[in-house]
Amino acid sequence: MPAGSERAVVELRGVSKEYMRDKIRVPVLSNTNLDIPHGDFVAVMGPSGSGKSTLLNLAAGLDRPTTGTVTVAGTELNQLSESKLTRWRSQHLGFIFQLYNLMPVLTAFENVELPLLLTSLSRRQRAEHVETALRIVGLQERMDHFPRQLSGGQEQRVAIARALVNDPVLLLADEPTGNLDAAAAQEIMDLLQQLNEEFEKTIVMVTHDPRAARRARRMLHLEKGTFVETELDALEAAG
Amino acid sequence: MKFLPYILRNVQRNKLRSVFTGLSIAVSLFLVTVLYAYVNMQDEMGEGALKYARVVCTAKQGLTFPVPIAHVDKVKGMEGVKTVVPLAWFGGKYKDDKIPFAQFATDPDHCFEVFAEFTVPPDQLSNFQKDRTGCIVGEKIARKRQWKVGDKIVLKGDIYPVNLELTIDGIYTGPAGSDLEMLFYDYTYLDELLKQSRSQMAGNAGTMFIKAQTPEMMPDLMQRINARFANSEAPVRAMTEQAFRQMFTEMLGNIRVFIRNIAIIVVAALVCVAGNAMAMSLRERTREVAVLKAIGFSRFIVLTLVLIEAIVIAVIGGFLGVMAARLLFQFTDMSMIGIPGFSSFYVPVSTMLFSMLLAAAIGLASGIIPAWRAAQVSVVDGLRKVV
Ligand SMILES: Nc1ncnc2c1ncn2[C@@H]1O[C@H](COP(=O)(O)OP(=O)(O)OP(=O)(O)O)[C@@H](O)[C@H]1O
Ligand SMILES: [Mg+2]
Repeated sequence: MPAGSERAVVELRGVSKEYMRDKIRVPVLSNTNLDIPHGDFVAVMGPSGSGKSTLLNLAAGLDRPTTGTVTVAGTELNQLSESKLTRWRSQHLGFIFQLYNLMPVLTAFENVELPLLLTSLSRRQRAEHVETALRIVGLQERMDHFPRQLSGGQEQRVAIARALVNDPVLLLADEPTGNLDAAAAQEIMDLLQQLNEEFEKTIVMVTHDPRAARRARRMLHLEKGTFVETELDALEAAG
Repeated sequence: MKFLPYILRNVQRNKLRSVFTGLSIAVSLFLVTVLYAYVNMQDEMGEGALKYARVVCTAKQGLTFPVPIAHVDKVKGMEGVKTVVPLAWFGGKYKDDKIPFAQFATDPDHCFEVFAEFTVPPDQLSNFQKDRTGCIVGEKIARKRQWKVGDKIVLKGDIYPVNLELTIDGIYTGPAGSDLEMLFYDYTYLDELLKQSRSQMAGNAGTMFIKAQTPEMMPDLMQRINARFANSEAPVRAMTEQAFRQMFTEMLGNIRVFIRNIAIIVVAALVCVAGNAMAMSLRERTREVAVLKAIGFSRFIVLTLVLIEAIVIAVIGGFLGVMAARLLFQFTDMSMIGIPGFSSFYVPVSTMLFSMLLAAAIGLASGIIPAWRAAQVSVVDGLRKVV
């Protein structure tokens, strides 16, 4: 972990975000500060529309804050141009979506390989990385299958392998278990926990599912655009 | 190009749509290829004819006016002339042919010196030279009509008020692309029949085909020939064989402009058809494009991927159309179209290349708007979009 090891992996300073809808300003986040240290696993909860996805988008550099600064792994994202930001994302981030978002025309192997096509790795090196990532998620046997031939849980594991394959500093997951049944959700959470504990991946996960949230190291509550930190113990005590 | 497998998968994503887009391009490029081949083939044969160093003389007023047969001997004596023969189009009907094939009255002793690219077995040639009612036919037409040496054929005059009763004395062959569907017979035989029937058409050489000593001598020779007969009763116009061939193309109207306009319309229509298909295809993929950009695909790469996809579809379609045109005319008999000089219609390689480039350009043009739109897709909005 180069520049980011001293400081927090994700650092939000005075971040606010508002959208314009029909010429009316819609404030989503207001003056938010946040530090997520290396190796953390944060679950972000909160009611629908509270700005959870917006927060992830800002941390990913997919969206820019109205005011304030977002620093990820030592890079201040505001400073980067659109194209630099895109490049930066390919090297430092991994995304996991609620709807998996695999390319239906590509096999599991090819889906995982996709981010590596942007690197200068040789075909053989790429294959090694892909196989390693698929082994971590336990799907090396399924690498020639297309997404439609996989279950939802398996698709999500392929998506996780794709997020992992370029060895990112930070994994961002937006409701990764939102479309899965309890058993499959359990497997995905096992996997994320393993990635955090064994591979020291910093993870920020948005979820509505308290059972999933409980697997994180800590939990953040987003309420009308501001954070209310909840200790896991407190939540557990509450029920 | 490591992205190619992904691009090819996207091409096959909606097979029916890609097939229809490809086919519409194939069909249209088939048409464009044939039209362009028609012109290019003439040019190519004309350019090829340059090395044969042939000058063609018609009457100054045009092809339908007579060139006195006496001109032939006068030209023969001129400096820079190797040989010269009369070449008169007969245009007679054979059996119940609707369209006449090419039959020329010429000088048996010298015509295969002028048309040196053709070869005739020596014994057949000497028979032809001895036989006043003999003729030599091209290998292709002989094969097609199952003529053998020794066969007798009758050609019913249409322009001329006489019938020819000819014996096939020989069969000529020639290099690929040359016209192997002509018939040559003795000018004196035609002239004699015309004199017997007291036709005014007697003594007309039709055209003169002159073999110059070298290709370099042709421009000067043409000037001197024109000057030589300028003040005679029958002035002539000398031109290269290439120019002579072009005259036929131009006789059919301003065909080049016409063909170019058709091609432009076809291409414009195709860009719309293919562009629409491509735009539809990408609209269905907005979310995937957003994901690509989220995981680090730049605008440029997204743009390029879409453009190449569009080009691949167009080039595959174009290739089918071009090959269809090439193969069709390789194995079909075009003499039935009945335009003089087009009996050996083929699609030149240069036309095929041109059509393939055109296909690629159609693909590129059709992809520009969809590609630009895909490159502009906002990741945040694209991911938000519910599928
Ligand atoms: N591009 C946009 N334009 C206008 N408003 C937006 C835009 N993106 C988000 N919003 C608004 O910002 C607010 C927060 O949206 P966000 O998607 O971050 O919520 P969320 O916490 O992820 O909700 P959910 O749990 O339903 O996913 C919502 O009111 C949403 O309508
Ligand atoms: Mg959300």
